[in-house]
Amino acid sequence: MNVNILASIWNYATEFLAVNAKPLLQIYVLPGLIFILGFAIIAVWFERKFLARAMLRVGPYYCGKRSGVLQVFADFLKLFMKEIIVPKDMNFLFFAAMPVLVSTVPALALILIPFDANWVLWDIGSLGLPMFFAIAGIAPLIPIFAGWASNNKYGFIGAFRVAYMYISAEIPLVICGAAVAIMAGSFDLVEIVQAQRNMWFAVPQFIGFVIFFLGVIIESERTPFDIPVAEVELVLGWRTEYSGILFGFTMMAEYVMFQAWTLLFITLYLGGFNGPVLGFLGVTGSHIFWMLAKFAFMVVLIVLIRTVYPRLRLDQMLDLGWKYLTPLALLNLALVLGMKMLGVY
Amino acid sequence: MSEPTITPDLMRISWGPQHPMSGQTRILLDVDGEKVHKIIADLGFTHRGIEKILENRSFLQGIVPIERMVMIDTANIGLGYVMAIEESLGIEVPERAHWIRSLVCELSRISSHLYAFGLQAESTGYFPAVFLWTTTDRTVLLDLMEELTGARFSYNFFLPGGVMKDLTEGFEDRVIEGVQYLRKRFEDYWTAMIENIVFEARCNDVAVLKPEDAIRLGATGPVLRGSGISIDVRKDEPYAAYGDLDFEVITESACDSMARTKVRYREIGQSLNMMEQVANEIPGGPIRTRFPLFTRSKPGEVYSRVETGRGEMGIHMFTAVGMNPYRVKINSPTLRNMYVFERLCELDEMLMADVPVVINSIDPWYLDSDR
Repeated sequence: MNVNILASIWNYATEFLAVNAKPLLQIYVLPGLIFILGFAIIAVWFERKFLARAMLRVGPYYCGKRSGVLQVFADFLKLFMKEIIVPKDMNFLFFAAMPVLVSTVPALALILIPFDANWVLWDIGSLGLPMFFAIAGIAPLIPIFAGWASNNKYGFIGAFRVAYMYISAEIPLVICGAAVAIMAGSFDLVEIVQAQRNMWFAVPQFIGFVIFFLGVIIESERTPFDIPVAEVELVLGWRTEYSGILFGFTMMAEYVMFQAWTLLFITLYLGGFNGPVLGFLGVTGSHIFWMLAKFAFMVVLIVLIRTVYPRLRLDQMLDLGWKYLTPLALLNLALVLGMKMLGVY
Repeated sequence: MSEPTITPDLMRISWGPQHPMSGQTRILLDVDGEKVHKIIADLGFTHRGIEKILENRSFLQGIVPIERMVMIDTANIGLGYVMAIEESLGIEVPERAHWIRSLVCELSRISSHLYAFGLQAESTGYFPAVFLWTTTDRTVLLDLMEELTGARFSYNFFLPGGVMKDLTEGFEDRVIEGVQYLRKRFEDYWTAMIENIVFEARCNDVAVLKPEDAIRLGATGPVLRGSGISIDVRKDEPYAAYGDLDFEVITESACDSMARTKVRYREIGQSLNMMEQVANEIPGGPIRTRFPLFTRSKPGEVYSRVETGRGEMGIHMFTAVGMNPYRVKINSPTLRNMYVFERLCELDEMLMADVPVVINSIDPWYLDSDR
């Protein structure tokens, strides 16, 4: 009797795994859990080591045989162990929910990214690009709530900086996304990538490429634009009151946002999974390898920018967004429409 | 101190001890959104009563506590006090001691300016490289100081009547080596920081202090020279060997935060030239005249001025019959510049993000203002 039940469970499990191997792999490995967490760990480590080199220091050294890799794990463990301090007279649930949401909502956008023609976790065809902007558009609301929930003056100012910044950045981004969709003739992310088989959209839409690159840095609150968490004037902006693992989640959010927007940037402008054939590695013309290689290149580039530039002021960033990026994005759209009419694309 | 009143539609926040590089002070800002309407510098947290301590120490013992005023720039501060003692007791200083004093003062000034320069980079955001570079390069200066005086900070090197020790064997060559190394590094600073497009955007036209306002509010040091006014105690009232050294007083006409930073940058260049000149042309002779351990002063009053890294410092010393100063009043540069800083938001529009940039262009040392 018991043996029969066990056997049937075993049969069911093997059958389930055989049928659902690919979705499970996608959920847990590639756009999913391991990719997100692993990237956060590697990126933090790389950033620390790279910045240390630029500063003429060594960086993390003792944890993990001089490479300092284990320092990141040690820090995460420390954040887990620390007490979570909640401001007085505060709704704990609301306060604690925001950091969790802020790192999970952008992660949802990752399920739309095509890593390969057949490797899309949620393939919704022509809704792909609008859905990405919809999910990513929710994300900035959460820091605003978090800053308000903190009941802290620095948090309050930081939250409003988030609001200003994202509005001025997201409009040019959406216009650029529209231009790409027009050029590719589809909102489907897979088709957008396949339309770039012969030439990446970075070349015909160079203006849009630059705007989107700046937009990626703005959206992920990376250094020339980390205005909402400017530590020299706002302690840590909307993150000020968070401690322990809740603070860990807010740190994590930065990397998840970065991941989502960078992957979209690669998909729209850098040819996604397209690339030259590398026979000796077994890499074909459209392969996951190219997606990951381009992603790694972008990480290095954006950390390099952090080492070189200080932070802009909020008014300068708004000037950039409204006076330069938005008109240029419209110009880019007009150029794309012109190319489309002339039949170049 | 009770909290000053605030108008109802403004929000009062502190730029205070929680922030990086704010030091030991709290600055209250009345802000409307991002715009700063009022700045209140809440000084006095690090008051240690140095003026009172000096009354209870003999003339020689006083050299130690007064150098605690500005740890980053101890030589210039100590020289002011030593000069006041010399003037009140009528002690002559030999020529070689004057030159060694100038050398040590310039080393100290470069070290102070480098620190200010690094903090200015840090204040525009997490701009990590330059601050750590300046900190690394300061070790060159500190090594030289250690060789000469035996200490990396707080040298206690100047005595009434001269200096403690003579230059070590081959010290002049090592000074020239250090000068050449630092000149090379300073080209990097120029490209990495002053010409950085974002740094320019953050510092240009921020907190403009017009020359007439600078004079009216009593600014001093690089803040005053950054407003285009050529005042430097080393030139106007030469002490130590500054009368014999060739240097020019650096001024910038832009009057903004960038101008104050550039003044520091170019003053370091002048200091390096002076160090080279001292190393090449230092005269021989004795390094000090005898200063008796138990000295009785006569009643009197002296005022000595020195140009420290932060500006002009005055020491007003009253002496009675005795072995201690009767009263020492220190006129510190940071206090004067903080007064200017409080009014900068009224003179020019200032945003919250400008506050760290502006305060580091003033280069305050709060222990100096609180004494």
